[in-house]
Amino acid sequence: MLNHIWLALIVIGILTAAGRDIYDVTQNSYGNGVPWMLQIESPESIEAYGEPVNAVLLIPRRQIALHFKDFSEHVDVRIPARVTLTHATDGFAVLDMSGGDVPERFKVMAAALGGEGMLTVRLRHNAAGWEAAIDPVSLVYLKKVTNAAFDIAGVAVQIAIGLIGIMALWLGVMKVAEKAGLITHLARFMRPITVRLFPDIPVDHPAVGSMIMNISANMLGLGNAATPFGLKAMEELDELNTKKGVATDSMVTFLALNTSCITLIPATAIAVRAAAGSSDPAIIIGTSFLASLTATIFAVTISKLLARVKMFRWDRSEAE
Amino acid sequence: MDIFRTVVSLLSAVAIPALLLFFLVYGAFRKVKVYEVAVEGAKEGFTIAVRIIPYLVLMLVSIAIFRASGAMDVFITLVRPLTDLVGIPAEVLPMAIMRPLSGSGSLGIMTETMRAYGTDSPIGVLVSTLYGSTETTFYVLAVYFGAVGIRNTRHALPTGLLADFIAFLAAVFFVGLVL
Repeated sequence: MLNHIWLALIVIGILTAAGRDIYDVTQNSYGNGVPWMLQIESPESIEAYGEPVNAVLLIPRRQIALHFKDFSEHVDVRIPARVTLTHATDGFAVLDMSGGDVPERFKVMAAALGGEGMLTVRLRHNAAGWEAAIDPVSLVYLKKVTNAAFDIAGVAVQIAIGLIGIMALWLGVMKVAEKAGLITHLARFMRPITVRLFPDIPVDHPAVGSMIMNISANMLGLGNAATPFGLKAMEELDELNTKKGVATDSMVTFLALNTSCITLIPATAIAVRAAAGSSDPAIIIGTSFLASLTATIFAVTISKLLARVKMFRWDRSEAE
Repeated sequence: MDIFRTVVSLLSAVAIPALLLFFLVYGAFRKVKVYEVAVEGAKEGFTIAVRIIPYLVLMLVSIAIFRASGAMDVFITLVRPLTDLVGIPAEVLPMAIMRPLSGSGSLGIMTETMRAYGTDSPIGVLVSTLYGSTETTFYVLAVYFGAVGIRNTRHALPTGLLADFIAFLAAVFFVGLVL
């Protein structure tokens, strides 16, 4: 199942990107090869050729409509720029695309040409006024896909490396608790619930203790502590696994509990609401609690039911 | 509600120090050589974190490609008839689809949606409830299964996604009750 969805995300992603790029080429969505007529509004007078000055480039709305045929907002656009004239009729400008009122399409063009929010154009003066030429923009989405894939590959490693410290801390503390017999106590205490959830785990197995720690930390919103407990639980569950590389029923039930986990305080969502100026940021506590409680009950039930479905059955699953 | 909130935030603030203190002192009381044993346990942290890397890289790359291509808009058009049927407002569909895939992506969508429709509007409350009540299923599966080298995940993904779907329905229902 995971195999198919994983592949589907990649295939759908690349095909969509290619499709959009082909559409953009056929429609010439970026107005490639058509010069831009614009006005230079310069608060500083241009005194010396070759010296950059701050200016504002005014792009009339007719020009925007001419280049971006499918563009909905047609207003005059003013973009701050550093203008350098090499002759009276020649020069170039570096446009600052980071401003809020710059149309999205320009930002996409700047990004596609690799300018980090800056777009360089060549300027030429002719009978009709100033004319700007922008390098042709193409294959925007395929380039985006490529960059995203490379960037996230690095981010993924950073996330994993970032786990090392917190993992070491909690696994160390857990080891002490385990040696002292605490985890076994905890497991025995929760026995009435855990025997039903995880019938194939011995009642005082350390995995039960770790899973309880993980779920409790999750409920309190302590994500940093929850992950080490959870990974420890997975290791202990794997000790009982007779087919290495295949998920056991208990692992799936545990992850069902984990991903749908009952939320007492959705801290991040409340913080974002408060930052966005909500008059009652905490209003979602009740709704999140009830929604996650419902999801948890269903998740456990679904995990038990799907375990009996032919394609997922334990006795039919092999490690590839 | 306020008392509940105070109690829970107090608990989450105190939980970690209390746990550290209790575990270590109890360990010392039971004659465990706390430092030596803790170091021994801590060594595993490195191995587990490194073992996760290939799983996490491949999972996140696949999701990043899907996101960057803008395929989500296409996907929304496809699933919309189904979600209209069960009463999920179209405005929160991007959130519902992004939530299991990417934590940072759905955080961005929550912020955007609240900016567009207002934080205290029904849509704003719903979108933040959605964010608050579910986990990033794909990330959790990659990390947890990666840690023990599980490649055949059996029914874990369908279970997680169905649970997410139920959470969305429940969120729509309960937000409807409150507002």
